[in-house]
Amino acid sequence: MKKQLLVPAFASAALLVLAGCSSDGQSGDGLFIDVPDIPMAEELGAAEDASLDIVAWSGFVEPEWSDQFTEDTGCVVNRRVAGTSDEMVTLMRTGEYDLVSASGDASLRLIAGGDVAPINLDLIPNFGDDIVEGMKGQIYDTINGQSYGVPIGRGANILQYNSEVVTETPESWDVVWEADSPYAGQIIAYDAPIYIADAAVYLMTHEPDLGITNPYALDETQLAAAVELLQQQNEIVAEYWADPVAQITSFVGGTTVVGTSWEVLRKFTEDTEKFGGTLPVEGSTGWSDAWMLSSEADAPNCAYLWMDYTSSPEVNGAIAMNFGMAPANAAFCETSDEAAQHCEDFNATDEEYFSNVWFWTTPIEQCVDGRTDVTCTNFQQWTEAWLTVKG
Amino acid sequence: MPGTDTTAETTAPDAPSHETAGVELRGVTKRFGDTVAVRELDLTVAPGEFFSMLGPSGSGKTTVLRMIAGFEDVTSGSILLDGQDVTAAAPFDRTVNTVFQDYALFPHMTIAENVAYGLKVRKTAKDEIARRVGESLEQVRLSHVADRLPHQLSGGQRQRIALARALILRPRVLLLDEPLGALDKQLREQMQIELKQIQREVGITFVFVTHDQEEALTLSDRIAVFNEGRVEQVGTPREVYEYPQTAFVASFLGVSNLIPAELARELAGADGAISVRPERVRLAAVDSTRAPDETSVVGTITETVYTGPATRYIVTTEFGLTIIAERHNDHAPNDTAPYRRGDTVRVYWHREHAALVP
Amino acid sequence: MTTTAQNRAERTATAVPLHRPISTALHKRPRVRLGALLALPLTWLVGLYIFSLALLLITAFWLVDPFTSLVRPGFTLDNFALLFSNPAYISTSLRTLGIALAVTALSAAFAIPLGIFMAKIASPWMRAVLAVAITLPLWAGYLVKIVAMRITFTEEGFFNTVAGAFGLSGPGFGIPTVIITLTYLWFPYMALPVYTAIRQIPVNLFDASADLGASGWTTIRTVVMPLLTPALIAGSVFTFSLSLGDYLAARFVGGANSQMIGSIIASNINLNPPVAAAFSVVPIAFVVIYLLVTRRTGALERM
Repeated sequence: MKKQLLVPAFASAALLVLAGCSSDGQSGDGLFIDVPDIPMAEELGAAEDASLDIVAWSGFVEPEWSDQFTEDTGCVVNRRVAGTSDEMVTLMRTGEYDLVSASGDASLRLIAGGDVAPINLDLIPNFGDDIVEGMKGQIYDTINGQSYGVPIGRGANILQYNSEVVTETPESWDVVWEADSPYAGQIIAYDAPIYIADAAVYLMTHEPDLGITNPYALDETQLAAAVELLQQQNEIVAEYWADPVAQITSFVGGTTVVGTSWEVLRKFTEDTEKFGGTLPVEGSTGWSDAWMLSSEADAPNCAYLWMDYTSSPEVNGAIAMNFGMAPANAAFCETSDEAAQHCEDFNATDEEYFSNVWFWTTPIEQCVDGRTDVTCTNFQQWTEAWLTVKG
Repeated sequence: MPGTDTTAETTAPDAPSHETAGVELRGVTKRFGDTVAVRELDLTVAPGEFFSMLGPSGSGKTTVLRMIAGFEDVTSGSILLDGQDVTAAAPFDRTVNTVFQDYALFPHMTIAENVAYGLKVRKTAKDEIARRVGESLEQVRLSHVADRLPHQLSGGQRQRIALARALILRPRVLLLDEPLGALDKQLREQMQIELKQIQREVGITFVFVTHDQEEALTLSDRIAVFNEGRVEQVGTPREVYEYPQTAFVASFLGVSNLIPAELARELAGADGAISVRPERVRLAAVDSTRAPDETSVVGTITETVYTGPATRYIVTTEFGLTIIAERHNDHAPNDTAPYRRGDTVRVYWHREHAALVP
Repeated sequence: MTTTAQNRAERTATAVPLHRPISTALHKRPRVRLGALLALPLTWLVGLYIFSLALLLITAFWLVDPFTSLVRPGFTLDNFALLFSNPAYISTSLRTLGIALAVTALSAAFAIPLGIFMAKIASPWMRAVLAVAITLPLWAGYLVKIVAMRITFTEEGFFNTVAGAFGLSGPGFGIPTVIITLTYLWFPYMALPVYTAIRQIPVNLFDASADLGASGWTTIRTVVMPLLTPALIAGSVFTFSLSLGDYLAARFVGGANSQMIGSIIASNINLNPPVAAAFSVVPIAFVVIYLLVTRRTGALERM
């Protein structure tokens, strides 16, 4: 399973960069985002004769479970693997696809662009009490009280370290941010604009005067402070990773000893004794994916059937294990010892753990922390700022 | 043309403008893998001499030239230039220069730049280069093409530029590797004369490689005839042509009637095989009597070949021997030849005109 | 009777191919023939290549919705202004240019002696082995090769293991390794034209140069190099432009400070296509300038 995973994960590497969603908590009470009015399905019709075209991360749609679905429903699944969130958005805008496994930074754009339709959760029986609390009603899939996505799984960006060099578990992210870090020159950082949020998370604790309350709602002053921190970090970074293979080889090959990681990548080092992982006191960023239905879907019934099918404990768990993330459906964790171990490894039901995780969300001009007196910086500004950090 | 003797004895240049040197090869052997290209070669070229190395392709003559130039290593033996051992010296450390078979002009340089090249790499002063290039181009009468590129020149012009480029360095020995091989016959004869004139002007040793026996005879002071990596004979054109010392030399230089030893003894009382040139063989009526110092034999004309200045008769004689006789067409142009195919004739030659082939 | 008529018709029909009307018609119309010959490549060139390039350039002036990334036709110079307003972008452009030039120079520096050895010195057997060795990397996937280089140059990788035996340590991940990796990737594109050009140099030019007093080095400088100019330009257009456009090498072996133009384009290609288009103009401009410079030096004319 691990080996199998590595290859698809490698291919999908870059894409996860931008994946993610808004974090912690419901969309703020006062937060109203202006989105196009797309009608929602009221009832489920018969499965269409058309094929179900899905844009997905590598590992999300595999014959292991899609063949059974086709047998059950008669819907033929046609998978298109995308490499980045941006690519997903572009593909969905062609109108040729019915479903997408959107990550948080893509989902807001898709909703705002009118590319995806609201979802009638009543038509998805498997979306029930077993869906973990932390993945219900997140801003990435629920706008203005209306759901747009069916959660698949989530994961945190953890601090990984080589225990032969970093002998004590770091309590703080300061080992990767501060210029006097004992590991200067051996640090790995994530290579994407969304990584600015990681700097913001650190600043929330260490520079409270900046007044950051949500790392995805940064005004220009706050963004400048984050960029300054990133530039300071650039001096001590050995390299940046966007590709999982690069990240794994960087640790295993000894180029880096501490830096951003995912739980699944730590497992891929095949030496979890040597490579430890922790969620430092400041908390961290993370990512979360959900199925979203195209507003121009030509097989919406099949799409609903698919979303229901993949929300079942077994299938949702299979996807989570295949990709290496925490499943959305907690019932999976009780299906077997192996499942229980997986849930434990990935903190699937540990809401306290995830309460400290800010899931990736596309930064938009409207401050998602609810502030109305300032304009926040949008993702394009983040992209430009990020290129400045590395330039 | 064979046997003409325009050059062989006209040596001693009037006023040698350049220093010259002799070349000596001592026991030189060259192997390419398992193939022996040159074996145990001893050769001496006198200073100021026009020396030709003649032979069929693959006979080793070009290899010898390339060893003198320094392009090929010597497997064993030594090469001396002006008495000094240069066996191990690099090409650019030898006072020899080469004119290549297809000229080897640098295609990206103008004619003037080509000629100047040797001086330039020697860091000669600019004004001196300009002066000498000017003189050099004048010498080969090509000053007007100085700014052209090699491909814009005719073959003969390129040939002269190659010569100028080599001579501008005032080598003591000039090596020429079939320099006229690519020219058509007429241009070739004209260039032969020019080459000889230039050699006389500069007065240096020319070592000339050719497979064209006529060219060798025309130009050379002495000729070395090569065969299978060995020198068969060295001598003046007259010596090698008239007195070939081996059957190979006899047959390679012009046409020769080679009469095996046994037959030669019977016919001419010779001590071994003899060679007689066709132009020395006469035809006469069968019943004519010959003088005692003449060798004669009766035969039938099986073929007559008209070649313009001469007519060649192929005569099959008794003993199964075929003799070629050549007769100058010195009769009136419209006269028919005195002998025809099928005639029975007596062929004869003066005993002294036959060379003993050891 | 009908049968007879049919038979006749059939017989006539079988006779027709002998006339080959199309070939005959084409034979008499050289222009049509030329058109037929060039139709496909021209469609490709104009339709796909030039058209898409023009489209790209037009896009560079368009606007984008900052939230949805939807592109709107319009006219703005902001995308180009961005190139110059941000010192980080300028330094990225210059860094990319420097890397591309270094890769080109390094490729040429390897290709020339190797080409001379292959064409003039090596035995036919050795030559075949080297030709395969040079082209071998072309058979592997691009990403595979970059990852291979990454593994080679990683801290505990092959390079450091070997160099460590001599008390040395490798360059790690950074600009030098990017240059090495790109040279490795694009070297065949330089080596093959250079080798072919050297093969075409008559061997007696080498002899002639030595004969006239030039050392081996002088011969390379004064004879071989000028004759190789067209091949070097052809090869360098590949190494130079391929390096200018690359960003994966920088991502995998670039360490912390080797962002290239391609990285900026890749970051913007879906998110902000007009900005990506504007940045795409930078490598194009570099290549055009490069070709103009080579043209001006007259390097192409004397051949």
